Order: sequence, then structure tokens, then C-alpha cells
Amino acid sequence: MTRKFNIIVDGVAHEVEVEELGGSAAPVSAPAAVQRPAAAPAPKAAPKPAAPKAAAAAGDVTAPLQGTVLSIEVKPGDSVKAGQTLVVIEAMKMENEIVAPADGVVKSVSVNKGDNVSAGDLLVSFN
Amino acid sequence: MANAKQEEMLEKKAKLRQGGGEKAIARQHSLGKYTARERLEKLFDENSFVETGLFVKHRCTNFGMDKKEAAGDGVVTGYGTVNGRLVYASAQDFTVIGGSLGEMQAMKIANAQEAALKVGCPMISINDSGGARIQEGVDALAGYGRIFYNNTMASGVIPQISVIMGPCAGGAVYSPAITDFIFMVKGTGEMFITGPQVIKAVTGEEVSAEDLGGAMAHNQVSGCAHFACENEDACLEEIRELLSYLPQNNNELAPGYECTDDLNRENTVLDTIVPENPNKAYDMYSVISEIADNGEFFEYQKYFAPNIVTGFIRLNGQSIGVIASQPKAMAGCLDINSSDKASRFIRTCDAFNIPLLTLEDVPGFLPGSSQEHGGIIRHGAKMLFAYSEASVPKVTLITRKAYGGAYIGMCSKHLGADFVYAWPNTEIAVMGAEGAANIIFAKDIKAAEDPAARRQERIKEYQDTMMNPYIAASRGYVDDVIMPHESRKYLISAFESLKGKRVDKPLKKHGNIPL
Repeated sequence: MTRKFNIIVDGVAHEVEVEELGGSAAPVSAPAAVQRPAAAPAPKAAPKPAAPKAAAAAGDVTAPLQGTVLSIEVKPGDSVKAGQTLVVIEAMKMENEIVAPADGVVKSVSVNKGDNVSAGDLLVSFN
Repeated sequence: MANAKQEEMLEKKAKLRQGGGEKAIARQHSLGKYTARERLEKLFDENSFVETGLFVKHRCTNFGMDKKEAAGDGVVTGYGTVNGRLVYASAQDFTVIGGSLGEMQAMKIANAQEAALKVGCPMISINDSGGARIQEGVDALAGYGRIFYNNTMASGVIPQISVIMGPCAGGAVYSPAITDFIFMVKGTGEMFITGPQVIKAVTGEEVSAEDLGGAMAHNQVSGCAHFACENEDACLEEIRELLSYLPQNNNELAPGYECTDDLNRENTVLDTIVPENPNKAYDMYSVISEIADNGEFFEYQKYFAPNIVTGFIRLNGQSIGVIASQPKAMAGCLDINSSDKASRFIRTCDAFNIPLLTLEDVPGFLPGSSQEHGGIIRHGAKMLFAYSEASVPKVTLITRKAYGGAYIGMCSKHLGADFVYAWPNTEIAVMGAEGAANIIFAKDIKAAEDPAARRQERIKEYQDTMMNPYIAASRGYVDDVIMPHESRKYLISAFESLKGKRVDKPLKKHGNIPL
């Protein structure tokens, strides 16, 4: 059963679909308030020139190269920080960690463990 | 007290220095942009800028242009010092008829270029212009042509830096494209051959100017630009920093700085940086900054082809160009973009007598039809060509993998490396152990009672026999196997020993690098 919610965060309306899993037929009450992720502490800078901040808007993350999905580290709804690993793709005999380009909330994961992906294939979408 | 003639001169100058006037200047500022003069003041050492051609005027009479005043014809040119060293510059003045380029503006820019070439100092061109001054017709086009020709003649003689701080559209983009370094300011700098309106009219595609040709479009996607800066102040500061790594011209060495960092500093963190599992990545940036004087690294094309990292460090105070595999991005493989990026950087360094340090952990060239059909053969060839051709000191440090054609390509001994060092965990081979064992022992594995077990045995056998630095060292292809913590002192010593390096090459007009 799918229910639609309209959630307003900082004045911006987001339409959200929630699918209820399991047997309970009782209507699910909408969450009272949307918890905003706590501001992440600034990542410890490596000893190199200060990197300009990653682009503010997190878009879709695609596979940078062809390979096999070794593991998926996030699920829809997860709040992630820039640089956090989303998916690990094995290619060129290397476990390539595909990381979040910016802070955001995962909307969907488009691949499964063991999938073979091509360069440019959608991996993870953000809200 | 100035007399009347002197007063007149002072007034004329003051008026011309106002450029397009207060209103236009206010509009320029409201866009987060400085005026041409403000930019030059910030770029050069205080009070060092000397202007040339302030009184130059356009000669166009078409379409009412004879009534139009254009202070300095929309460009400020001259010379000054940056950290005490001579630099020529031109800065287009958007407040004066949109900085549009006509015959006389082009002449001023060309004169500055020719002066820089004559005296052998860097030339910086700040672009902020609506494009060709259409009223001037072919005179404007001729102007661009002369600038491009000068760019080409000066290429490899003096460092040429282009700065995109506003629009740079149409033919105008080809001056920056020929130069050595392109800086773009985020949000205001844009470059394209045809702008969004034309694209929409011709193809129907809708795209914003920023997405089409903004700083990140060219720094991350097209690879046409080398530096993306947050704002103009940061940009001008980065240009000053870049100049500190470059010589004045191809007959000089980059300035040496006193090294305050211990030359024999042990890099103990490097002893444990490479994961035991060869399938795990690590961050090559950490290796670069650990080896460099004071951990300082000035990166070139940071956002493009991140599987190879390029930029400048100093070792014992001397500029060094670094080309490094980045295992954290696409396994550090070589592909079309990373080959192009590295080749261009290698040639830039070689042209300006900057020695090359290659840090290698490369699993090979990226397989796939998109790479093959995209021309990885000719793009990869550029790297082999650029490394082989480079006559500056070349030192290579292999930190882990060096497989196949990529091993040759990453400045192996065979391409003229003066020194090749390897860490003890180095694996030099034609391919990874698994693939190699599957081919060499195909029959043996198939015939075995338990093929899976047999395969593992054979893989291990291949690994134990081949995947080490000692076979290459026994042939002299690796000069020495060193502890990771000894890297800095070995590299400094190697580059110091190479200071007198001279290479005689066969006489030729020029090589024919595959483009």
C-alpha cells in the first residue's frame, strides 16, 4: 500500500511516497516532524590545498567506469555526507568506492549487489 | 604647479582611466566583477603596473561608431612585477563597449604579447568581453587572428596564462585554448564557441550559459580549463602562486626557494599507506604531500580525469611537476581523458624546464568499446610521446602496480626515465596474476581434477614468481627498491644529481605528436 505525503522542509514542499511493507493494515500516521540531519562537522582537511566546496545540489550519481557492484552502503532515506561511500564497484581489480558528491538524502538506489554496470549507469539518486 | 598643457594631459588621462564611467563600473561591481584596472592592481605587486597604449583609439566609422568614445579601446595593457618578477598583461574592460574586440584593441593586446616574447617574460590575458566588435567586420577578425598567431609563436617560449573573468565567446576562446594555463572564475567566467541562444535557435537544445561553458563545465567535463576559482580575488592569488613555480621563459629555470623542510625527513606514514589487499585503494594525495617540501601541492586540472593527479610541488626548493596515478578514482587507470591531461602537463613542464616526478600505481588502460572507439590508442600514444620527448630530469617512483602498456607509459626506464625507484610491494607485470595464470596455465587448469584449486595454485605461483620489483631491478629497469619512508630523500637526491642533465636530440623541424 502506497501513501503520499506532502512534506515541507524550510518552506519547500516535497511530495513523498511511502510504501508500507508487512501485514499490518493499520494506517500509518505521518511522522510528526521531519528530522533534519544535524550539521556535519567540517571534514578534516588533508594536508593539501583547500578544496573548494563540492557543488551544493546533489544530483544523480552514475558509475564512472564499467564493473560489478560489490556492495551497496546506503539505502533510500539515508542521510549521507559529502565523501561518504555509496556503492563499491569492482573494476580493474580494484574496489572503487563511489562517494557522495555532496551532503544529501538518498532517494533511490538503482542497482543491486552483483549487478554489472556500465560507465554512466545510474547508481544512486538524491532528493 | 602644472601648466595648461600638463593639466590637459592629466585630465585626459584621468578621464581615460575611468573606462566606461561610473554607471558601467557600478554594474560591473554588482556582478561580482572587478574592473580591468582593479584586476591588474590586485594581480601585480603594489604600484608596479605601468600602462601602455592608454590613448589608443578605434578607427571605425561604420554605423555611427565615429561618434562613440571607447576609452583605451576596451582593454588595459602593460607590464608590472609579480613577486618582483616581470610580467606583461592585458585586461579587457567590459565597461567600455562590452570589452568588444576591434582592430585597435587587438593591436594593444598583440603589442603586449610581442613585448613579453621579446623580453622573455610571462604574458597574462584577462578575458571579459562580449566578443568581436561587429561594426568593425573583418578588422575585428583580423585582430583575433593576430593574437592567435602570437599565442602560437610564443608557445613554449614564455608561459602564457589566460584568465576568464566574464564572457569569452566565439572565436575569442581560441586565444585561451592555445595558451598554457586557463583560469576560470565560477559564476562569471564562461567560454563557448556558440552561446545558449544560438544553440537554442539552431538545435532546439536549452542549456544555461553556466552549464554550457561555466568554470566547472570546462574544469570537470570538457577539460578545456585548468583552474576553477571561487572568486576573482582567489583567482588572482592563485595566478601569483602558479607563477612562483614557473620560469620567466624557456631559457631559464623556475626560481629556487630556500627549503625549510628537512631534506632527509623520513616519510614513516608511507610505510603503511598501501593496503595489504591489492584490491583496496588509498589516497595518492597523501603520498604527494608527504614527499613535497612543507606538504605543499599546487594542483593542475584538479576536477578533470581525477584518476591521474597533476600539479607542482617543490623538492629542496625547486619546482617539480608531479604526475601521479590515483587509485581512489577509477582504480587509477589510464583512459582517454587522463592520458590527455597528463600529456599536456608533461609537455608544459618540459617546455619550461620543470623536472618530472611520476608516482605510479597503475592497473592498466581502461578496457571497453567506448574507450577504443573514442581513440584511446591515439590519446594514450600522446603520453608515451610526451614522456619520451621530455628532456627534463625524469624520476619515477612505483608505489604498487605497474601493469602492461601502462607500466611502459608511466615514464618507465624505457621511455627515458633517469631513475626508477620502487617500493617493496611493487608488482610489475604484463597483467594481474589472475588473468596471467588463466592464460599461461589454461590447459593445465582445465585438465586438473579440481580446476578451481589448481587455478588458485597457479595464480599464487605466478604471483610469487612475477609480481615483484626484483625481476625488473635485475634487468636494471628499476634502479633500486627502497623503503617507503626513504622516498623523500631518495627523490631529492635524484633530482639534485640531475641538475646538469643535457639531452641531444636528432635535428628536426618538430615531432609529430598524435593529436
